[in-house]
Amino acid sequence: MKKLVSLLLSVLMVVSMAAGCSTTGSNPQGTPAANPSASAAAEDSYKIGIVTPTLTVSEDEFRGAQEMVEKYPDIVVHKTLPEDFATNVEGCISVVTSLADDPEMKYILFNNGMEGIVPAFQTIKEKRPDITTIVTSNDDPQLLNDYVDLAINTDWVRRGVTIPTKAYEMGARTFIHYSFPTHMASESKVQRRDMMKATCEELGMEFVEVMTPDPQTGNGKAAMLQFLREDLPRQIEKYGPNTNIFGTNCPMYDVILDEAFKQGFIVAEQCCPTPTQAYPTVLNLEITEDDLGDYDKINSMITEKAAEAGMTGKLSGWAMPSSVYVPQFQVELAVYMHDNGLTIDDVLSKEFLDNFSKEHMPVAADFAMAGEGLDHYWMLILEDIYY
Amino acid sequence: MKLHAINPPRFIMSLYMLVLLILAVLVDISFVSLINDALIKWAMNGILVLSLIPMMNVGAGRNFGMSIGLSAGLLGMVFALNYKMTGWLGFSVSLLVGAAIAVLFGFGYSRILNRLKLNEEIVGTFAGYSFIPIMNIFYTFVPVTNRQMLYPIGGQGLRPRVNLDIYFGGILDRLWQIKVGEIVIPVGLLLFFFVIAALLWLFSKTRTGIIFSAIAENERFSSLAGLRVNRYRTIGIILSMVLAAVGVVVYSQSYGFLHLYDGPFMMSFPAISAIVIGGASQKKAAVANALIGTFLYQTTYLLSIPVANALLLPEMAEILRTIVTSGIILYAFIFQRKDAGNEVLKK
Repeated sequence: MKKLVSLLLSVLMVVSMAAGCSTTGSNPQGTPAANPSASAAAEDSYKIGIVTPTLTVSEDEFRGAQEMVEKYPDIVVHKTLPEDFATNVEGCISVVTSLADDPEMKYILFNNGMEGIVPAFQTIKEKRPDITTIVTSNDDPQLLNDYVDLAINTDWVRRGVTIPTKAYEMGARTFIHYSFPTHMASESKVQRRDMMKATCEELGMEFVEVMTPDPQTGNGKAAMLQFLREDLPRQIEKYGPNTNIFGTNCPMYDVILDEAFKQGFIVAEQCCPTPTQAYPTVLNLEITEDDLGDYDKINSMITEKAAEAGMTGKLSGWAMPSSVYVPQFQVELAVYMHDNGLTIDDVLSKEFLDNFSKEHMPVAADFAMAGEGLDHYWMLILEDIYY
Repeated sequence: MKLHAINPPRFIMSLYMLVLLILAVLVDISFVSLINDALIKWAMNGILVLSLIPMMNVGAGRNFGMSIGLSAGLLGMVFALNYKMTGWLGFSVSLLVGAAIAVLFGFGYSRILNRLKLNEEIVGTFAGYSFIPIMNIFYTFVPVTNRQMLYPIGGQGLRPRVNLDIYFGGILDRLWQIKVGEIVIPVGLLLFFFVIAALLWLFSKTRTGIIFSAIAENERFSSLAGLRVNRYRTIGIILSMVLAAVGVVVYSQSYGFLHLYDGPFMMSFPAISAIVIGGASQKKAAVANALIGTFLYQTTYLLSIPVANALLLPEMAEILRTIVTSGIILYAFIFQRKDAGNEVLKK
């Protein structure tokens, strides 16, 4: 009896997982007339599969993909990665490769800052060479370049130069870099820190590095945030308000920005620059149903609150989160490529990508090839906004 | 077991704190701000440590499943914030609703623990860990109407952190502050903390409190003597959960954020470390253990990070600090076992 029950339960779980993972767009409101591409696609129906982390792991990528599902309900298929993607790479790979089982699948898009997903695209390349893959992950650039049609990433390393430069222009004379051992074991973050240090030296700005309790090995995020609460006033007392604070971890900004409004220091850019992270929490923004996803409105709310607090010109960021931008860019690009019969070689140029972002996206992006010989790997930076 | 005034782990911890304090002054870290932070940190974490006492004294082990009680407190705050209750109203409604939910959660949790006696700590760890994802689902779907608490892009589900500044952030911290020179003593916060500590101490002197320790001492004997052991264990567990809920509300008002989702994930570990350093054994914890332990643990934690940052290579600072601090806690555990072993031998 027990065996039967457990068997039933496991069958139920497998079925519900299969059903629960996919959030295929079956949106009754999305009328086909609303998107002209749907009619063009009607003759040869095709699908775009997009994979993102779950909502609790990262709201941005998830919502970015969801919006695309609503826009192209018959085309876009959205799947989510397991919550424990960092340790369960096998599970992630199977989510991606399972998309290629659908014969109508023509584009597979991937969006998560993780490592180890390249084998999935190796498999797809062997099994279904007709599928175009567009990927954002933290894997080795050379591997991505070899096995993925187009890898897009935010240019974290180039920001090692742009952030201190911007901070200096905003009046900062000291630059404090908060991080912790687990992050300082990641190559791109160390590279960025070294670039920041070098840029600060060039500009004559003091570079200070502070380690916080590690949220991944120690007592969790709360201990790290509590430390920032105590440390920021101490540092500002020491270096004065003409100091720029940079932290390598997104949750840090809840405290950094909150203290910025109290101590009046400069935050030139968040680690993941976006108006939707930390700002709504710190400023208790009330975003009504109509304003959801309206970045202009959210930005103007922040500008207003910053002016009230006398913080105008001390805060800056990108007009829209790159983690929402990139999944939408991927989908729009895939749709455009299909509708205009373009192959991947047609889009691999700075001119095309820059122009495409200007014409088809709400915010323009500045693309650069990731490195010599990496013609399938492109890095982007979005337009700045000052509050 | 007698309560040693100074046992070796406590002595080492005090010495470590003193060395850190001297180093802090030497590397030019503002002494005054450290004292101010230490006082707040003591009371802010103190109630969470106190919440361990009833369960330990009734022989239900150190409460590694604290996150269940913490979730109750968080729910209390979610309730108060949803109706935009600010100031003392918001704070007291959070406490009341949190405590009420904690009674429910505590009752359920006690049913589990009473079936799995002797394994309470490991069961508690797993129960605590598995309870957090359940709460995560709840936070994502709870029909909250206060839009200041909802995700900014999708508008569904609570934000990971909600700023308490405009609600009741720092309400106890600021109550009856007394300034001695530059040192600010948060009398209101400390008083709240001490009143709870005193109530717990008084409780241990009541008939129920004495029965608690009898059960911890020898459960079989107590049940043969006609005590309804499970009933008292249930009371102890519920009491611990209610205190944890109160503790997290007090913690949050100091911290300034309502920290949902993985917020309570690791909070039981510092609390348990503190009470172990304070000299509590597995089955006997006094209020004094919690007070001393919290002060030593939280103050060394507070001092060690800036000192390590100033003295060591940045990359090494956090790693070395973790090794030293965790090492002392481990030693306290070993010592406690040795101490308990001696007690058995003496008998």
